[in-house]
Amino acid sequence: MQNSYAIEVDHLRRIYRTTVGVFRRSIKEVVAVEDVSFCVAAGELFGLLGPNGAGKTTTVKMLTTLLIPTQGAARVMGHDVVKGAKEVQKRIGFIFGGERGLYWRLSGIDNLRYFASLYHVDPDVAKQRIPYLLDLVGLHGRGDERVEGYSRGMKQRLHVARTLLHDPEVLFLDEPTIGLDPVGAREFRQVIRNLQSERKTILLTTHYMFEADQLCQRIGVINHGRIVALDTPENLKRHVSDLSVIEIEAFGVPATTIDKVKALPFVDAVHVENRDQKQALMIQSPRGSEAVPDVMATLNGLRVGRVIVREPTLEDAYVRLVGGTA
Amino acid sequence: MTTLTQRATWRASWRANWRTIWMVAEMSLRQMVMDGFIIFTVLVQPLLIALLGLWMLGDKGPDYIMFVVVGSGLTGLWSSLLFIGGNSINVERWSGTLETLVGVPTPLTLIVLGKNVANIIQSLASMVVAYLLAVVLFGYQIQFSQPLLFAVSILFTIIAFVSFALVLAPIFVMNPGVQAWQNAMEFPVYILCGFLFPIALLPSALTPLSYLLPPYWAARALHGTSSANAPLEEILLCWAMMLLFSAIYLFVSSRLFAKMLIKVRTDATLDVT
Repeated sequence: MQNSYAIEVDHLRRIYRTTVGVFRRSIKEVVAVEDVSFCVAAGELFGLLGPNGAGKTTTVKMLTTLLIPTQGAARVMGHDVVKGAKEVQKRIGFIFGGERGLYWRLSGIDNLRYFASLYHVDPDVAKQRIPYLLDLVGLHGRGDERVEGYSRGMKQRLHVARTLLHDPEVLFLDEPTIGLDPVGAREFRQVIRNLQSERKTILLTTHYMFEADQLCQRIGVINHGRIVALDTPENLKRHVSDLSVIEIEAFGVPATTIDKVKALPFVDAVHVENRDQKQALMIQSPRGSEAVPDVMATLNGLRVGRVIVREPTLEDAYVRLVGGTA
Repeated sequence: MTTLTQRATWRASWRANWRTIWMVAEMSLRQMVMDGFIIFTVLVQPLLIALLGLWMLGDKGPDYIMFVVVGSGLTGLWSSLLFIGGNSINVERWSGTLETLVGVPTPLTLIVLGKNVANIIQSLASMVVAYLLAVVLFGYQIQFSQPLLFAVSILFTIIAFVSFALVLAPIFVMNPGVQAWQNAMEFPVYILCGFLFPIALLPSALTPLSYLLPPYWAARALHGTSSANAPLEEILLCWAMMLLFSAIYLFVSSRLFAKMLIKVRTDATLDVT
């Protein structure tokens, strides 16, 4: 591995141990990260995609020094995340999705003053930077209010301001747009773009494919604790360039029928999305529109709405890579 | 040249650490004034104890009144140390801020120290409230027998109590079972350490146990310099014992913090979710 990398991850593995049972207690082991290796270049915006429980947050927590790896090693800006934890902490900022991690009884400005002090930011510098950051994240004029009165989106944006107080070189954003309304999420993505234009190295985990497609230069797809693909969004889409996607809107499709569709010889993967009372079946097949009659025959007797055949997207590539578990 | 640079770096680092401790203390105080339980622990409860004490011992003379004022203040100090100081890390964990605190370059020990400074400042208020209660409400003419030595004793008391809290906090995080004994640890210390009446009233077999508790030496120094006019040698002994205990606790707490940080990062218990 070269030193020009901001983040170097080398065969990371993490096991969680929990105790089960009341009288006859036994230790249960859960492998959250099996074997993860990747590098992120300085100034790169790297995405880590994967379904729930794939190991994204665990990986980020190991890289931000909050968890000790069971095996393997990782370096951030050349410092080991275990032995050089304090050096790593000076150079990174991190956000975990959600509203926790702030002092709700304090105002936004007091939260920032507090964390500026914990990051050893000179008070004079902090005095200038806090209004600038509040402005940057769209909290101008709201800094004096107590955080408990902030909306979820405002708290998320305050987290961004907090993480930029010490002008870190590397940012870890773990599902930062989760729970935000569409407008808030769009504004947030603009903040991420601005940070990238300042040459920050960013590791972003997200569930939203279009977000990764729009923002990330490279994407690592993680599933069951392993990186199953690592490439640019364009190249990842080529994984499914030989396929077409048949998108069928239907009502009340039972699991047995979905299994039957999956079992069709020309079907590569099936992903189901619930849309209000409807279900959208995304069926990947190399036969494209020719496969539609056979699929419709399998759905025989069900109420079916719109049927379209389209080109695959990054989401389809992702579904194929994670085996339809998304 | 190198030595000068090193010295400047060292000074800058100390200044930054002090600034951090005071910032943590300031922010903790701001949060405390919004918390009803903390107000009860450090103000209402000692106030009730002072009221009862003044009522019961009011006819015993000004020295007894001073004893009650200082003793009730000590109860506030001990309760604050035990509940607020002892839970200082767990509270951060429950509110989801511990991950953020562990992820900053400032050592967690300094952050907890700042929080304990805030606790002490707040709980000293209980002593002032008890004093004002005696003077204004009950109209007693009371004065400290050795004010200068009392002030120094307060300082040593703060150091001893803060050091003790630094030991309790990581123990409570690593051993949730011990935390269940928190309530049981409150009143026995009031009694064993002579906060509200001299330990001479207790069975003599309990005296060695009192000697092992730093709040006993704090209570002896504070009572000795406020109402008892104790000889200087006795006060010096109390100060020495408090400093000895503080040194032991600071050493033990530094080891416990390091152990705790490895344990919570290994067990993934920085957050409760």
